[in-house]
Amino acid sequence: MARNPSTYRSGLWIDWCPGCGNFGIITAVYKAFSELDLDPSKTVVVGGIGCSGKTPHFINVNGVHSLHGRAIPFATGIKLANPELTVVVNGGDGDILGIGMGHFIALGRRNVDITVIMHDNGVYGLTKGQAAPTLKRGIKTKALSKPNIQDAINPIAIALSAGYTFVARGYSLNIDHLKELIKQAISHKGASFIDVLQPCVVYNNIYTREFYSERIYVLDEVGDWDPEVKSERVDEMMQKIDQAWRRSLEWGDKIPIGIFYKNPNYSTFEERLSMEVPTYLEKPPAKQVITTSEGRPIFTGDVFREFFSKYIIRTKNNRR
Amino acid sequence: MNEDELILMIGGPQGSGLETTAQILTSSLAYSGYGVISDREYYSNITGRHSYIHMNVSPHRIPLDLTYPVKLLGAMDAETIFTHFNDLDKGGFVIYDRSVRGRKLDSIVSMPPITKSRIREVLEKLGIGRDAGSLIDYLVENRGITGVELDFRSFLKDISNKFGIVSTQATRYTSSILVGALAGLIDIERDAIEYGLRRRFGSREKLIKHNIYLIDKVSRQVSEEYGTPMKLPPSKLNVGELLVASGNDIIAMAKVVAGLRFQSYYPITPAADESFFLETYNNFGDKGSILVIQTEDEIAAINSAIGAALAGARSATATSGPGFSLMVEGFGWAGINEVPVVITYYQRGGPATGLPTRGAQSDLMYSLFASHGEFARIVLTSGDHIEAFYDAIEAFNLAEKYQVPVIHLLDKFLANSIVTMEIPDLSSVKIDRGEIVDGGPGYKRFDLSKTISPRAFIGSSAVMWYTGSEHDEYGHTNEDPVFTARMYEKRMEKLDIMDKEIPLDLRIRYYGEKNPDYLLVGWGFVKNTCLKAIDNLKRKGLKGGYLHLRMFMPFPVKYVEEILEDMDISRVIAVEHDYMVQSALAISLFTGIRIRNSIVKYNGRPIYVHELTEAIEKVLSGEDNRVVLTYGA
Repeated sequence: MARNPSTYRSGLWIDWCPGCGNFGIITAVYKAFSELDLDPSKTVVVGGIGCSGKTPHFINVNGVHSLHGRAIPFATGIKLANPELTVVVNGGDGDILGIGMGHFIALGRRNVDITVIMHDNGVYGLTKGQAAPTLKRGIKTKALSKPNIQDAINPIAIALSAGYTFVARGYSLNIDHLKELIKQAISHKGASFIDVLQPCVVYNNIYTREFYSERIYVLDEVGDWDPEVKSERVDEMMQKIDQAWRRSLEWGDKIPIGIFYKNPNYSTFEERLSMEVPTYLEKPPAKQVITTSEGRPIFTGDVFREFFSKYIIRTKNNRR
Repeated sequence: MNEDELILMIGGPQGSGLETTAQILTSSLAYSGYGVISDREYYSNITGRHSYIHMNVSPHRIPLDLTYPVKLLGAMDAETIFTHFNDLDKGGFVIYDRSVRGRKLDSIVSMPPITKSRIREVLEKLGIGRDAGSLIDYLVENRGITGVELDFRSFLKDISNKFGIVSTQATRYTSSILVGALAGLIDIERDAIEYGLRRRFGSREKLIKHNIYLIDKVSRQVSEEYGTPMKLPPSKLNVGELLVASGNDIIAMAKVVAGLRFQSYYPITPAADESFFLETYNNFGDKGSILVIQTEDEIAAINSAIGAALAGARSATATSGPGFSLMVEGFGWAGINEVPVVITYYQRGGPATGLPTRGAQSDLMYSLFASHGEFARIVLTSGDHIEAFYDAIEAFNLAEKYQVPVIHLLDKFLANSIVTMEIPDLSSVKIDRGEIVDGGPGYKRFDLSKTISPRAFIGSSAVMWYTGSEHDEYGHTNEDPVFTARMYEKRMEKLDIMDKEIPLDLRIRYYGEKNPDYLLVGWGFVKNTCLKAIDNLKRKGLKGGYLHLRMFMPFPVKYVEEILEDMDISRVIAVEHDYMVQSALAISLFTGIRIRNSIVKYNGRPIYVHELTEAIEKVLSGEDNRVVLTYGA
């Protein structure tokens, strides 16, 4: 029997503002975890810093509240050391695409089996509403003294070019839809990214609930939308990336949510590691025994000599 | 001082095969049973800038120190002669190509203008013309140096004809001409040379054959003309086997033994070679494997290493100053979360890019206090390759036992010098992972009933939380004023526990007789240079001691106090590769005792025995209480 969604509540008081879009996200996470019946001790939620960064504390699975922008490297280390763990990153758009952009790109390049859920509200809420990377140029939210003069980042397009093999967008108030995205993202083999549009009720008076509800449409409801690459053919992959990229540019009267791109046929980092070290998945770094029962190294003197023989010179006279 | 030891140097442009030459020579000499240290000095450059290898070869000991003058100078180009002619000892030999004679100082584009004008001044003072030929003639006529002039081109032409090698390819053999000449003068036997070549080139038989032919030919010609004036006495070292490794290599080997399972890194000099080594030697079949990952930057390096440690892998990263600067926030996170992670830190000249390929010890204070906030950490340093091997293993044991981040602080001098050494004895090496539990329901990662809480891994049966914020026993954010202080104290009290428990031998060592006339205080790579200088001065009737500091955090306060209180402080000299004498600052910080004499060097070159010996005499004579050393090119 699957675990109940309430199993995944840590019981801590959630200190987000009343009406915060993050509540929709965490509800979708509880539901998705429940429907996937994730074992709390084998699941890890890694957060960055900011409102979204606190997410791990509110979920009853292993939680790592890391550093600003660094959730992805922490998650990468955890996942690669023990690939049997399900690893989910929660971070804001400032966290992931501002201070942590380099890591965001690197995860795509590696295609490690990690899910990134980005709480995308266009502002740095916890520091009182400064412009974050997804805030469009020219927009003046109420906390800003002047309109934003930096252009916005397109998270979907960046994820696609970085190499994420599952790229989606959800809306925090469309909880069931978001839950399905999270389930699919976690089940997907490879790096998955969900850009979750999330109104900040206190600091973003532009991207509000009303703003989104008038504009959002679901990609799946578009006649022949098929985001999935079904073969290993490069041309098919390019065609799917191309259509996803075009959709990612839509931000106006209509804003698409749903799966933009999905490619289950692309090698994961874990698979690439296994090619090099065949025992990797079976005996990953965290699961190896590194000491004998007497507390000695596995490498004895003889093994050392043999393994590093290239560095050992038997002297000519060999007097010993 | 040690008449039977041979100091030699080979120099040339970066990328001309000097490293290969040094490897072949080192292996050949080790095969013959000699102890060798070979230091590589180079610019941050791939091709063209001047680099050189400085070697000490001994028939009666394993040398770990470097000194001048040199007896043999092998020059690949004119720049080497201009740069190093003053390094040559009376009665020494300089090997060079006939064509360099005509080269003028001013025409050497790879030499920095400042260096050029400095050398120009020296030449002018000595009344020497600005061409290499005049300089060589001067050395021969006035300094009792023998010039071994060879026609490189004719040798290359010969192997080109003999083996049908295209002449542009034949130039790759240039460095073997130097090997041949040195082999002739030193009288390295043919089987030893062949051994050295095989070790370098493996099964590339053609290459070995061509090289042997060339080396043989040059060697015969040289010894026919000059004899074997530098012939080494037979080795008195009673060793059947020698390990030949750089500092980077030996640390990597130690990490393999230690059970390292996750290493992250971002390429940086002089640390990257260690990770390179681990990438090659990462798969031990049924004995396990190491995941080595090149990350996008040092921030990701430290933070992914921390992640792997949380999951239960022995985990480390290797870097140098600029890399560590990027790691510091993550380092603090490891501190507040009591994560056992090892940072192998090879110091180089700073700040910023500083002297990227040169050595320094100027990051001591930085290592002690890096990160905002306070937390318990270990800063462990090593004096040579042998110490570094065992320390690198112990770094992991301490990290896991006390659940603290450990900085293993080394330097470029160690990283890049290749030495012969006895094969480490693994029979007494232990692996201590500290108290590890499976967790289970209700597990508290930061259980306050013990200062060092039992540790469960993420992935065990427990659910746990970590946060960079101050936290409660479960790892949830907590700022309660009373509780906060308790959690803070839990972390800091580890310093006292470590101070009580960590064996003194790992933290400090004293070398020398009791009640010495003077005491040197140092750490890291200066160790063996100090010991050799003390040995030299002993012959002059001066009885010296050397206090070798190894662990700076927690600092062995009592021991240092005892030693220093017994000494006349005016006879104590701190020796260090920096300007501020940070080890002396640390001593005064922790003990209140201020060492006023210092011998320092901060030009990126290692401290040499000859200059240190002179400087000690100068200080002891009362002439000066601070000597700044500058020798080296």
